[in-house]
Amino acid sequence: MKLELGKIYIRDVQFAEKTYVKDGTLYVCKEEIEKLVLEDERLTGARVELARPGESVRISPVKDVIEPRVKVEGNGAVFPGVIGKVGQVGEGRTHALVGATVITCGKIVGFQEGVIDMSGPTAKYTPFSQTNNVCVVIEPADGLETHDYEAAGRMAGLKTAVYVAEAAKNLVPDEIVTYETKPLLEQIAQYPDLPKIGYVHMLQSQGLLHDTYYYGVDAKKFIPTIMYPTEIMDGAIVSGNCVAPCDKVTTYHHLNNPVIEDLYQHHGKDLNFVGVILTNENVFLADKERHSDMVAKLAKYLGLDGLLITEEGYGNPDTDLMMNCKKVTQAGVKVVIITDEFPGRDGKSYSLADAVPEADTMVSCGQGNLIVHFPPMDKLIGTMDYVESQIGGYAGCMNEDGSFDAELQIIIASTIANGFNKLAARTY
Amino acid sequence: MVTNNVRCLEKWEGKLQIDYNEEWAYLDVLLAARDYIHRGYFLLTHPLAGSVKPNQTPFKSIILSEESLEGAEDFRDLTLIEESIEAYHKFMGNRPLPEWSEKSVEDFRTIDLSLMEGVMANPIMNRR
Repeated sequence: MKLELGKIYIRDVQFAEKTYVKDGTLYVCKEEIEKLVLEDERLTGARVELARPGESVRISPVKDVIEPRVKVEGNGAVFPGVIGKVGQVGEGRTHALVGATVITCGKIVGFQEGVIDMSGPTAKYTPFSQTNNVCVVIEPADGLETHDYEAAGRMAGLKTAVYVAEAAKNLVPDEIVTYETKPLLEQIAQYPDLPKIGYVHMLQSQGLLHDTYYYGVDAKKFIPTIMYPTEIMDGAIVSGNCVAPCDKVTTYHHLNNPVIEDLYQHHGKDLNFVGVILTNENVFLADKERHSDMVAKLAKYLGLDGLLITEEGYGNPDTDLMMNCKKVTQAGVKVVIITDEFPGRDGKSYSLADAVPEADTMVSCGQGNLIVHFPPMDKLIGTMDYVESQIGGYAGCMNEDGSFDAELQIIIASTIANGFNKLAARTY
Repeated sequence: MVTNNVRCLEKWEGKLQIDYNEEWAYLDVLLAARDYIHRGYFLLTHPLAGSVKPNQTPFKSIILSEESLEGAEDFRDLTLIEESIEAYHKFMGNRPLPEWSEKSVEDFRTIDLSLMEGVMANPIMNRR
């Protein structure tokens, strides 16, 4: 499967009467987006605001972040089974507005969701301080049930991203990157002397506000399967996860999965990137046992020499991570796990909620318990009404001037457990 | 099911054997589950289900069974529950549970209920 990703670099975003791209600036029509979002009767409010790198702007509470992408050639449509019709994606050409995002904000439940600062000392902890963001602030209809509101918020973001991405369809990309993975036997034959490496991508799938979708299928209802890495670049995986801002894998992070990106960088040089095994993080221990057995079976079946595993979340997923690590290792495949850490305030407690002796090689994405200071900002997109109860905030953390202190875990993607960040914990 | 979430009690009373106590803290539910494990029960659901950490949500529900569904290794469940109790103390030592508004408390009940609804909808629950 071969995908050309045409990157159109966006350096600014502005409002206009219609939506288009010119000379690296994304122009968006506010009214059309608001109309599109309000087609869903579950939502009664939709307000579009813009946030650019370096501005004194704070966005909170953030639900999802999405990079606008559109299918230009090849089968299917972006976000298959969710927005686009169900159909295989991952081949042909896709255009991306790199440097632009759609961000959905609004209170889904009273305690969760994170913060993005576009400037100041905390901006460096989130990649979205460096992007030009089209923020959609949503409000639910009175009495809307939580599940329905989450679904409406998720769809609002995806629909807006698809709408914005249409502007990229007929443009000549600034750069085209080609990614290719062949069918297994051909792929192994292409680089017979290089180690065969795979990637186990664990999807959050525990329930309300903890869900992920693959071609529209609720990930808690599938069994481990094999995916071509390019499928994810066309939006085969969509985030419905709202819990724990710091290590939430947004839809943007699925589209731009850094493990897949880096494995392709090394593909054909010092390793042979064979493919992705998708699995889930269910609440049922029987599901965990069955699915970790299947992950190990698939790893062995693919003839892998080694693989990387990433998780999403803390606690329950740590058990899946460890079961996968243990069983894959016992199947004779070398494992490196990638995760963030919660070792307590002094950094001395167990970082994860579970551990096995086989988990002896780990890449750390930093720890979420560090307390950082957030200075006041000139403009707020969303609301700070809930900051004391957002994850990482605490009673009395908010000051009258709009500044506050909170744990790093309140910032979107600050310790994301797939390495799309710049933090790590070191052993001294 | 051991739980301190009244909405789980309301939903499954009569369908499951429910050990409910509204006075229980998150820790008390873990300890109750631990006691069942010592009495020969097996964990069906992960004690730390949900990414909401033990110092963030007041509610916890755990399902156990007298019969194991997966032939897990000996002491797996005891290790899991003890690790969960240790994780609870780590987080609470770091920062205790906030005084949530009633709206937030209800949201936490909804999240916990939703996790259990996912479990109850799993075909494996209808096997017995």
